[in-house]
Amino acid sequence: MTMTEPETWVDAYGDRLFRYALSRVRDEGAAEDLVQETLLAAFKSRERFKGESSELTWMTGILRNKVFELYRRQAKEAPLGPADEDADPESEFFGARHWTAAAAPRDWGGEPARKAESAEFSAALRACLDALSSGPARAFVLREMEGAAPEDAAEALGVSPGHLAVLLYRARMRLRRCLEKNHFAPGAA
Amino acid sequence: MSFLPSCRDVSKYLSAALDSGRPLGMHVRLHLALCETCRRVLAQFALLRHGAARAGEGGPSLSGEAKARLRRFLQ
Repeated sequence: MTMTEPETWVDAYGDRLFRYALSRVRDEGAAEDLVQETLLAAFKSRERFKGESSELTWMTGILRNKVFELYRRQAKEAPLGPADEDADPESEFFGARHWTAAAAPRDWGGEPARKAESAEFSAALRACLDALSSGPARAFVLREMEGAAPEDAAEALGVSPGHLAVLLYRARMRLRRCLEKNHFAPGAA
Repeated sequence: MSFLPSCRDVSKYLSAALDSGRPLGMHVRLHLALCETCRRVLAQFALLRHGAARAGEGGPSLSGEAKARLRRFLQ
């Protein structure tokens, strides 16, 4: 299977690869570096492209591995610590046993599943993800955006499975609260 | 409902169950049957998963400068 000319890749795939990378690493410079590394890896291994998927799908697979590599590197260089984690949401959301009136999840109304497929929801989710601390954000990216198995996500982040569960819980609680305030509030979006 | 787990515990359990794929235990299902708020949080966790899969599809494009850099790099 012959690939398209590498000179055309930036125009054909650059933006989509960049958006994918940016949604995972939340930093434009790092995302651009990942796209560059991905294009270089694709160029070096283009003989191995068999055409079983589209070029974009193939390159996205390479980029996905690059994201995992980056997370592993970050975990080694700067292991996640308390500063990388959002505060425990429990005291903010709960009384002794039950939700506080102010923090109780509200009805998102209408057809939330249809809303969740909208570009506006995606934009709101990215904005809320940007507001998370790095620990919960990386956990959410690996588990929910990349679909990594819990053990693979924990390994990439350099944390125990129990710690990953805590990070995911904090991410989900903060993201749902953020979306509720900014996307599903009456009059929002 | 004091014999049932608290909303605090159920919300954690629901997040963990989403990852383990294990069916919900009887006490949690009973809690959900009685607690609309926790049913909402379960639905919202599921929506986050649904929406996350598409979250990388939008957003900014590469700048012209960045594209030029990448083109030079590939030459």
